[in-house]
Amino acid sequence: MKVTVKLIGPLIYEAGFSEKEIEMGSGSTVETLLEKIRLSRPRPKVVIRNGKAVVPNEVLADGDRIAVSPIYSGG
Amino acid sequence: MVGWTGYFLRINLSSKTFKKEAFSEEFAHKWVGGRGFAVKILYDELKPGIDPLGPENKFIVALGPITGIPAPNTGKAVVAAKSPLTGFYGDGNLGTKVSDQLRKAGYDALIVEGRADKPTLLYIEDDKVEFLPADHLWGKGTYAANDWIYGKWGKGVGVLNIGQGGENLNRHAVVRSLEGRAGGRPGIGAVMGSKLLKAVVVKGSRPIPQADPALMKTLGQGDLRKVGEIDKQTGWSIQSTTGVLPFCNEVAGLPVRNFRKTHHPDAWKVDGERLNNARIATYGCPTCTMRCGITIHDHEGRESELDYENVALLGPNLEIFDLPQVGSLNYLCDEYGLDTMSMGCTLSFYADAIDHGATEGDFKFGDAERAKELLRLAAHREGKLGNLLAEGSRRMARQIGHGSEAYAMQVKGLEVAAYNCKFIPGQALSYGVAPIGAHHREAWIITFEIKHTTRESYGPEKAAKVIELQRIRGGLFEFIVACRFPWIENGWPLENYPKYFNATTGLAWTLDDMWTVADRIYSMIKLHYLREFPQADRTADYPPAVWFDPSNADTDGPIAGKILEIDKYDGMLQHYYDQRGYDRRGIPTKATLAKLGLLEEAAAAEKFASLA
Repeated sequence: MKVTVKLIGPLIYEAGFSEKEIEMGSGSTVETLLEKIRLSRPRPKVVIRNGKAVVPNEVLADGDRIAVSPIYSGG
Repeated sequence: MVGWTGYFLRINLSSKTFKKEAFSEEFAHKWVGGRGFAVKILYDELKPGIDPLGPENKFIVALGPITGIPAPNTGKAVVAAKSPLTGFYGDGNLGTKVSDQLRKAGYDALIVEGRADKPTLLYIEDDKVEFLPADHLWGKGTYAANDWIYGKWGKGVGVLNIGQGGENLNRHAVVRSLEGRAGGRPGIGAVMGSKLLKAVVVKGSRPIPQADPALMKTLGQGDLRKVGEIDKQTGWSIQSTTGVLPFCNEVAGLPVRNFRKTHHPDAWKVDGERLNNARIATYGCPTCTMRCGITIHDHEGRESELDYENVALLGPNLEIFDLPQVGSLNYLCDEYGLDTMSMGCTLSFYADAIDHGATEGDFKFGDAERAKELLRLAAHREGKLGNLLAEGSRRMARQIGHGSEAYAMQVKGLEVAAYNCKFIPGQALSYGVAPIGAHHREAWIITFEIKHTTRESYGPEKAAKVIELQRIRGGLFEFIVACRFPWIENGWPLENYPKYFNATTGLAWTLDDMWTVADRIYSMIKLHYLREFPQADRTADYPPAVWFDPSNADTDGPIAGKILEIDKYDGMLQHYYDQRGYDRRGIPTKATLAKLGLLEEAAAAEKFASLA
């Protein structure tokens, strides 16, 4: 299945891309997706699907758009 | 008393006199500085009902006990007055060299009274105050005026100035400094303009008093370096505040088309990635090691400094997705000395009112060239339209009528910051109860709402989070007077701030002591409000009505069909009042005021309105 990943802010420079489609195995979770995109620096993050935060063991579906963001605080 | 200079400088522009006034240790410990000083001075010295643009109003510049000391991000000042936009206490902070120069001159605050008989520049150097003619600067923009000042006194002086917006009493006029910094969203620049005060220039030569200068030097300078190192690791300042734009777009929280829409497929064209790619220079405030000011060439080739709020409100909110054009609108606001955020909302309101047939006009969403012309008209109050736009969205809506007040995006008269809360209840509450109007400075809880609770909740946990953040953001950082960014964006521990405070004052305060001061200041702002609007009720703490309107719900995307529910919002508002110790109008009860040591202030308020 294919999942579109959108990285936000400094995560773009860690992973080396801003947005791309990634091929994932059936039953993959948010956690496996994060492992695959290899963000180099451990930090608190929020993973968003359809306007809501999702937990690491959330199972992904074909066609999902997943945004990964550092924790922003509104300036 | 150490840590404070112990003096205010009071200047009267009408009589061209000044005096150095001592304040007591008790006063310093009760109000600390910055917003605390400003709110207390204005409460004691202004009569309710005065014209904010008349000579009775006072323009305050207030600093805190760690302001100007080499420690993380202390290069800030608070500017305050009775607001011509909202009609009660208003303030803002800005990065400026006035932070250390005024303290070195021997003052913790400046109180400017009266009205000059001709355009004036105040020059303050230690014990000397000069009232210099500024006719040659009147009519000039903030950049040109600042250049002249630097040419005369050099770049080391502290400068606060206004542009044509302030001179012409545009209610969105701000105070400007350092050629890229602005503060005082509730029209504090117009208060300067009403006094014919074009600029304040400050030069000081004395050491800032500190209880333990050696400790402060080691602690402060070491921590400044660490803050810079952390920022390099996190990469926050690569995109600075604009990193949040795609986050808002993904969670359907971006202001698009006067907040009618919450996301847009072209938002990426004006995001932090594009801004960083277009960067020509980076600027910061004094004592900053995580500089956030990114400049680009605007559409006309000028250097324009952008951040999230001005990009979102002058860009997507006007359906303009061309970064250099957004840069141009931002440049013009900066040059005229206008609040980029409120002007963005006022222009978007005008386009929306035309779109909905409430008024006639030739401005459409997406028209950057016409928006530039409208900014010029508003800054100079040129013609009927310029005068209308200079009044702000609430007054405009009252004149236009036809139900347009529902989509004037403001609370208590101050325009909403760049987070669209059509379906973000807790952040809507944050705007509703922000004490000076819909400012994002007081509390921002969107990530908390999305990650740690449910978006649908209107529960007490959201009210509690708003209060927690108000105490820190609108309290602590505004009365010690320092930038919140090291803590809020890069996780610099909050516990460091009492350490700086104690090293400079010799006291042994904890964060809990800070929260008491923060609550005291918030209660005082509410008393200001009550005195000016004794009949006000809790609906003054509601967000714009359009967020409750089912016909305004998104038709696509993550929150399609969803809006805020008014009964549930009101319930959440009551949670906030209960936790704060406020009555059903949103006013602190006598018991709350007594607990905060505000019985005298309560008695003063009771001459105008009842307290529960």
